[in-house]
Amino acid sequence: MGQATCDTTAEPSLERLLEHPAIWRGRSVAHTATLSTGCTRLDEALPSGGWPAAGLTEILTARSGLGELRLLVPLLARLGAQPPPRWVVWVSPPFEPYAPALIAAGVPLERQLVVRTAEPAWVIEQSLDSGGAALVLAWLAPGVATSVTVLRRLQLATQRSGAPAFLFRPLTEATRTSPAELRLVFEPHVTGGRVQLLKSRGGERRPLELRWQEFSLQERDDVAS
Amino acid sequence: MSRRERASSVTRTFRAPRHGSTAQVSSRITSTPRALTSGRPPDPPLPLESLFDTAPEAWVALHVRSSSNALAHLAEIAGGFTSRVSLEPPDAVLLEVRGSFRLFGGARGLCRQLLDRCGAAGYTPHWSLAPTPRAALVLARAGQGSIVLARDRLVGLLAPLPLALLRWPDEALERLDSVGVRTLGAALRLPRAGFARRFGPELLLSLDQLTGAAPELRRPVARRERFRAQVEPAFELQSVALVLQHLEPLLKDLERFLRTRQCGVDCLKLRLQHRKHPPTRLDLRLATAELQARHFAELLSLQLSRITLPAPVLRCELRSGVLQAFVAQSESVWRPGEHGGGAGRESPALIERLRARLGSDAVYGLCLVPEHRPERAFGIAEPDTAPPRSEPPRSASQTWLAVRRPLWLLREPEVLIDAPQTLQLLEGPERIETGWWDGREVVRDYYVVRDDSGAELWVYRERLPPHAWYLHGVFG
Repeated sequence: MGQATCDTTAEPSLERLLEHPAIWRGRSVAHTATLSTGCTRLDEALPSGGWPAAGLTEILTARSGLGELRLLVPLLARLGAQPPPRWVVWVSPPFEPYAPALIAAGVPLERQLVVRTAEPAWVIEQSLDSGGAALVLAWLAPGVATSVTVLRRLQLATQRSGAPAFLFRPLTEATRTSPAELRLVFEPHVTGGRVQLLKSRGGERRPLELRWQEFSLQERDDVAS
Repeated sequence: MSRRERASSVTRTFRAPRHGSTAQVSSRITSTPRALTSGRPPDPPLPLESLFDTAPEAWVALHVRSSSNALAHLAEIAGGFTSRVSLEPPDAVLLEVRGSFRLFGGARGLCRQLLDRCGAAGYTPHWSLAPTPRAALVLARAGQGSIVLARDRLVGLLAPLPLALLRWPDEALERLDSVGVRTLGAALRLPRAGFARRFGPELLLSLDQLTGAAPELRRPVARRERFRAQVEPAFELQSVALVLQHLEPLLKDLERFLRTRQCGVDCLKLRLQHRKHPPTRLDLRLATAELQARHFAELLSLQLSRITLPAPVLRCELRSGVLQAFVAQSESVWRPGEHGGGAGRESPALIERLRARLGSDAVYGLCLVPEHRPERAFGIAEPDTAPPRSEPPRSASQTWLAVRRPLWLLREPEVLIDAPQTLQLLEGPERIETGWWDGREVVRDYYVVRDDSGAELWVYRERLPPHAWYLHGVFG
């Protein structure tokens, strides 16, 4: 880390000081706790090697159902199986989460909680603050104006609770500013998808083409067989 | 008491000769209600029977000549002495008190306190204590007011009583009367086989239950306790905040009520009365039983924040649901997820908070239904707040699960117009043809396709005319 800075003759003590998580320099990678995505190449492309473990991640897509949920399926399966049983909260999903597919992917159904609401931000904040949620997935409808202040509150809530939240938002929001820890654009690609980081604390900004086969499918096969 | 019962006034001259040596002792134990209720009987030395030779059960029968309302009331009083209370309609209550002797000062002390409580409530029941429920009942109907703890002393006491006290069918009683059998003792002396043949096994069983030769199972009274309280403030409450403030003492009462019973409730009903408008009703449903006033207040305030009061509130009424056993759990030092700390109360608490504000239909869990029709293969379930099972339940048919299914399903299939031209076929067809037995037959060919934007879709074509194409799922 830190090799891209202009000061190449930094003292070792200074190096150590700069590794402090509160200090974030342009291209360097801030050391934050992360959760593996289940795909090695995506892990490498993301700062600190995975999804932020306690932060807000925005996934922007042209519309819902393009494959963005499949990015998170390995995470859902792994978090659901972790011993302290906590909810995976689905806030206003655009369609019905389909139980047979979730089971087949190894996602434990009994930990999923679907919430249909007109005030998603309140639900996300409550879920995170209660300590009862392991992960929050939220779909903000295109019509709902989401101010920076609200997003900032959600980002702070994820940090307080130590649980990640994923917001799925329309691509039109890409030009607006957001306090989310990680923002990326997802678009479908032949048997996979293309991921482009919009905002990250470090990491590569090149578009990354992924194939679904890379998403630790052997785990899925184990469950299904 | 029927005329026949009263006609044969009770005589207690009968003593079984083989108990002659302890007859003196037993005569001390039997006593009249007058002696008990007058308050100052000389405390006799402890009867030998209370030290050994006692039956495992001791039943008190309370016999009143009033309505069934009195029975419910007596059962409530009896509930203060034992948990095993049973009704004998139309006019008696039975309670098993063997385990309560020590607490209430022996059989005598218990009976005295029980009668005092009945007297305070305005009842003067005939009573009796005996090792079997039926014997206690018969003795109480005879107006005996006796305490018998040993089973072998029982027959001697029952023998002179008229047979009618058993309330057998009149026809059987008349036939027995015609052969000169008029007392319980006489009936007990009859040959068993012949008795059963002539009068049926039920009456023989009833005799056996009387003496304790056969056990009698009694259905306990199920006590359904609820909390109910109301507050009528000195002025009309204009705002939700004021309502909450006035509810606070009620909730504290509720907590005290629940704590003394070691119970919790998972349902609370609140009724706010207005002057001219119909009352506002709020139902609070909790994911698990709870007893803390603070917790109720928080959820009520969330739910009240959803509504607007149509008019000022005159009166608040709070009612609880059925009480449920509540086991307090110690909370973890760590936050959930931190150092392996578990989420004990947090999981249900989250659901309660969300439901209080959004309504209970807005929050649900998912479950799997073994069904081939895709739209019926999943269900909406109550969120599973039970502690997790060690082995997650797997569906029986794994082959059925191995078929590729989309992560998203549309609630209603969407008609696709001139679909096949723009879609690129990836997989299929998968034929699903089932459900003819319940009128919702599906006859479809499912395909996995990719549309021009690159999204993978799950579409089907009706196999029946007009062969329309539908979008049913998205492989999101």
